[in-house]
Amino acid sequence: MATPIFVTAASIAAELHQAMLEAKGLALTAKNARALAVRAGSKTVGFKAITHFIDELASDIIRQSQYINGVSEHLSQHAVALWRATMAADKFEWISGQHSTNLDSLQVAMKKSYESREVLSAQLSRGLRELEQQLEEGDKHIRTANLIATSSKVEAASAGDFRNQLEVIAQNITETADKIRAHLSRARNLLGQRQKHN
Amino acid sequence: MLATTLYEDGDHRWIMFGRDPNKTEGIIDTNQYLIQSGNQAILLDPGGIELFAPMLSAVLKFVPAEKITHLFASHQDPDIISSLGLWDQALPNAKLYSPWLWESFIRHFGMERIEYCAIPDEGMTINLGRIQLQFIPAHYLHSSGNFHVYDPKAGILMSGDVGAALEATDAPIWVDNMASHTPKMKKFHQRWMPSNEAKLDWIRRVRQLNINIMAPQHGRLFQPPYVNEFLNWFEELPVGIAIR
Repeated sequence: MATPIFVTAASIAAELHQAMLEAKGLALTAKNARALAVRAGSKTVGFKAITHFIDELASDIIRQSQYINGVSEHLSQHAVALWRATMAADKFEWISGQHSTNLDSLQVAMKKSYESREVLSAQLSRGLRELEQQLEEGDKHIRTANLIATSSKVEAASAGDFRNQLEVIAQNITETADKIRAHLSRARNLLGQRQKHN
Repeated sequence: MLATTLYEDGDHRWIMFGRDPNKTEGIIDTNQYLIQSGNQAILLDPGGIELFAPMLSAVLKFVPAEKITHLFASHQDPDIISSLGLWDQALPNAKLYSPWLWESFIRHFGMERIEYCAIPDEGMTINLGRIQLQFIPAHYLHSSGNFHVYDPKAGILMSGDVGAALEATDAPIWVDNMASHTPKMKKFHQRWMPSNEAKLDWIRRVRQLNINIMAPQHGRLFQPPYVNEFLNWFEELPVGIAIR
């Protein structure tokens, strides 16, 4: 049996929430790196420049994760409403098959449940498309994070006495980017599985 | 879902629904009631989500949907009103009468269209078509906010969990022997009813009503002389036993 869409959407929201927490960690790393670069002076000018990019990237990821999180939560709510409307429509159809006494009196409710099923279904499709686009955007951020991590390692190598500390920061950026990538990847898999079942 | 007419006088009638032979296994058997008068009808304790489709199907055989203007939930339990989210789609203009105490809890079952009419602790009277119905306080029997429904014209008291018995779905509708029936009620009342004080207060008030039928939410219904025999038996029964 396919996982209900409201479960999928809620799971995607949870993955994006985790990605957002990682991005907040990345923002903190950027602040530490900047403080270190200031102390290290001229030997770490290159690294200092990179810290601005890290900060900007972390802000972008946080903003986007929050947005996707909101989209997923809305999607989950729409999916629950669709499930309820579908359940009511199914029950009405079952009753129609039982007998015809006073069935006319149910026509308005039946029509409304069918209409809301259609409207919610369309909203859900739109939401899923948007989610897919947003997750693709997320992949771009991860590619940027990888570039920044590589540049950080290169700059750390020429930082003299501060080399070890900057390498730790560079490694931290790489690991955080990997974690965010993993959360986004799981979110995309969840969405992919959902679309395979549709 | 079997339907039994308990009372009929012109367009004033009581129908009991229950003893569903197709009921999903493992869920408690429940009695649902429909009272109709003129162009209005009320469903008393319409039941759980599992029961919605057979229940609505059975009800439509007696009244069209637009005439089901009221719902009543004696308390918040799932076998009483977990079907609310579906009734909300079927009867968007209906009013739900239920204890004020449970409003914010019952809304968790899903209620966007139906209007919640909170019953105050002291109870209230409503008009239904050409009759009046009284919501009689039955707090702590078993729920902390709980009401029964009394129809003075028909002399019927829907007594919720009071008088309930757990037995087979093919059991007869009427109590015909108290000695053989009380064992089926004893543990249910002793465990589910928490307060002897509340029990005695309810008995004192119910003795003042003119009851031709006492109709619980589970099990068989009582007619005289068994109504009085039940009240005597219940009066002597110690309840709230789980803490002993």
